[in-house]
Amino acid sequence: MNPEDRKTKQLPKVGIYGLTSCAGDQLTIVNCEDQILDIFGSAEISSFLMAKSDNTEGEIDVAIVEGSVSSKGDLEMLEDIRKRSKVLIALGNCACNGGPQAACVAAEDHKERMKQVYGDVKWSLPDPIDAKPLSAYVKVDMQITGCPIDKWEFLRALGRLVKGDGPIPISYPVCVECKYNENECLLFKNEMCLGPITLAGCNSVCINHNIPCFGCRGAVIEANVAGEAEMLVNMKHPQFPDRKNFDYQDVKNRAMMYGGNTMAELLDKAKVKGAKK
Amino acid sequence: MIDNSCIAGDRSNPFLPEMMRIVRRFDLTSDVRFFQVRPTEASRALTLYYKPGTFMMVSNPGVGEAPLSISSTPSRPGLIEFCVRNVGHVTNSLFRMKENDEIGIRGPYGNGFPIETLKGRDLIIVMGGLGAAPLRSLLLYALDNRDDFGEIYLLHGAKNPHEMLFRKEFYDMMERDDLHCMLSVDKDDTGKWPAKVGLVTSLFKEIKHIDPKTTHAAICGPPVMYRFVLQELLKLKIPKHQILMNLERRMKCGVGKCGHCVVREVYTCLDGPVFSYWDVLNMKELIY
Amino acid sequence: MRILKLKKKDLKKFLESISSFGELWAPVKKGNRWAFQPTAPDNIDLDAGRTILPLKKFMVPQKFTMFKYNKEGYTPELSNIPSRIVFGAHPCDIAGLNILDKLFTENFPDPYYIERRKKTAIIGLSCLPDEFCFCNETGTDTVEEGFDLFLSETGTDFYLVWIGSSLGDDLMRMAENLFSEDIAFEDIQKFTNWKKERAKKFKVNIDLTGMPSIFELSLNSKIWDKIGERCLACGSCSMVCPTCNCYDVKDTVELRECKGERNRCWDSCTLHEYSLVAGGHNFRANRSDRLRLWYTHKLESFIGAYGKPSCVGCGRCLVTCPVDINAYTLAKTLREEEVFFK
Repeated sequence: MNPEDRKTKQLPKVGIYGLTSCAGDQLTIVNCEDQILDIFGSAEISSFLMAKSDNTEGEIDVAIVEGSVSSKGDLEMLEDIRKRSKVLIALGNCACNGGPQAACVAAEDHKERMKQVYGDVKWSLPDPIDAKPLSAYVKVDMQITGCPIDKWEFLRALGRLVKGDGPIPISYPVCVECKYNENECLLFKNEMCLGPITLAGCNSVCINHNIPCFGCRGAVIEANVAGEAEMLVNMKHPQFPDRKNFDYQDVKNRAMMYGGNTMAELLDKAKVKGAKK
Repeated sequence: MIDNSCIAGDRSNPFLPEMMRIVRRFDLTSDVRFFQVRPTEASRALTLYYKPGTFMMVSNPGVGEAPLSISSTPSRPGLIEFCVRNVGHVTNSLFRMKENDEIGIRGPYGNGFPIETLKGRDLIIVMGGLGAAPLRSLLLYALDNRDDFGEIYLLHGAKNPHEMLFRKEFYDMMERDDLHCMLSVDKDDTGKWPAKVGLVTSLFKEIKHIDPKTTHAAICGPPVMYRFVLQELLKLKIPKHQILMNLERRMKCGVGKCGHCVVREVYTCLDGPVFSYWDVLNMKELIY
Repeated sequence: MRILKLKKKDLKKFLESISSFGELWAPVKKGNRWAFQPTAPDNIDLDAGRTILPLKKFMVPQKFTMFKYNKEGYTPELSNIPSRIVFGAHPCDIAGLNILDKLFTENFPDPYYIERRKKTAIIGLSCLPDEFCFCNETGTDTVEEGFDLFLSETGTDFYLVWIGSSLGDDLMRMAENLFSEDIAFEDIQKFTNWKKERAKKFKVNIDLTGMPSIFELSLNSKIWDKIGERCLACGSCSMVCPTCNCYDVKDTVELRECKGERNRCWDSCTLHEYSLVAGGHNFRANRSDRLRLWYTHKLESFIGAYGKPSCVGCGRCLVTCPVDINAYTLAKTLREEEVFFK
């Protein structure tokens, strides 16, 4: 686009916000050093607290929200953003799935858990509540997940968004990208890898470094969670008799770290042999 | 030199789209839009050739590519016409395009209707919903070469008058005495519908004077339509291999490489999209 | 076909003398497995087993750009394809390439495949089967074509070298003095003995006779549902299969301008989106439907179209599927032999 065009053409208004999270996803955007000028040139970034100071909070075309809803303050902020945005995008695992702070939501009452961790203290924070993903409260139009997000996935999505197209969602698991990278499968090396049930888009970065998948991008569409758990807990692979099995609770803990309540429910439904009540 | 004169695109690179200009577009229904396109090089427009029932791969730069049935007939050369329903990324983006914008086109692909076999035969054309898109091509072709065909029956069903594609064009056809044009809507919410109210299958009673042995049927419509229409056609004793269907599949290449449209050993893009009912019976998965 | 002798000790010298053709890629160890990687002649593992990915990664890379585009239109990206020498290709992998040749070079030839195939010199190397190989059953334990040079072990201090193409001949002539044509009677004997010994080493007992009819008869079998329950739909089997050629096409767009790339990447029929059409109808919504497509395509449909299975017996599905669904267990199960569900 030439400068003349830019003056006359209205750029889409975009706001980038953070609720409860480590802000790592916004940081990933700020770290797009080679593309940051393009980001600010392709859209009117009306609000991005981490990157700029003259923020305005009005009607916007696209809201990009990081973090989970973990307090009443978060919730008010989110509802306000939703009201004044046409498209709302959940950014990062916390916004899409609740993040690690939502890992044991189902376990006990929230107040009880807070007490166990912090004791009887007076809260200066605005009313903490159970951490939940954005979709638990408002309509989320698109998700860009990951912990942190993949820079290129974000840029591709933004490129399409500013031109009026929705991002193309990924629908395959990490294993596909892991094979693109010609990695040795960690499941055959006695590692508890969640690759087969986890949404791809990360270019299998952990497995490329010999670290089994934690599932930080959340479950892939139609994830066979039952099959994965059955394999990890019970299956004896006839071609590889030495492959070891894992304790069900360990598998569950790992899956819940980023998958939270959703994963817990899927696992409970699966009724894997060896699961304790 | 590889001759590219009668195809859109490039024979030496079958994936390379040729840019074409949108000359006209208008809404057929609330979610289906009609597009007329023409090669940017005007001299190419008249040489492009395709068979009724074939499809083109349509690209919008930056968005992607999707297969679209051709709605126009080769007997009226110069323009290629498509009906686009706003359902995917590519079609969504096409809805934003204006006259004189350019899109990428390559094709035609697929077997198309066996025009040579159909010559001298009676035709029953049954369309529903967006199925009107490919069958309009066949219908217009047959009407433009009217002497080559026997009796022609057109059965077109829609949910309501607003949902009927090309309704104006088909209204006018009701006047013709060389075509049995039968239109029906499931429900008339306008009160002004001049034709039948009822399911498309109810129109079959009016088919007379056909010899099933020399009659071919062509069907295209939503999956639910097939079962009931097929029953009616079998009641008319039309042989299974003379019942032709234009099928839809996910496709990424159109030329038998990407694999998405495979059913058993058949590539919908090369061996289809027109299949006979006999093929369908032979190959589970082809329609459902 | 012309056959020559090459002393084993001269192999390194030979590979060095043809290095002007292109970068040398050969199997090198990756964990407990192997992978084709750029390497120096010194680091080649001559006893390498099957690589994680087959040769298709050279001809249709995992991800590559088909076109660059801007408002004016699309420009093919065919100019920056590198010349390479791939050393150490096993017969089954070359047989896989021959199948891909049929798919990509006939009926709308794919210029991207053809260009890469032309620029890749394939030097085959004979191998010994491990406990997962069954190329003897698929008839791909030897190959007659598809390579430029093929080095066969003889159990002694030399290789027998088959010259498979005019490019192969050119390569040989770049170090002609290393090759000799005088093949003695005992050389032939040594070679046939080695082949006999090799044939004895196959361990997988897989029976592929009559597979098309068995598949046809089992289309509605409950087995598919059971296997579908177990399948993780991870797509790994397709990624590692030498003859899986399905791909997806995606466009990327730059932030500020209407320009970008049209990219092509490997896809798998076991994945959810494979048969999903715009508007939401999925022709193969269940894992079992998709898995059935995978195996019928390999072991039945391809036989219908080309007269032989598109399985080359490389054993990659056996060592890759984490839940043990593979050509071996499937063929057994369909013969009503209890494999999965004891």
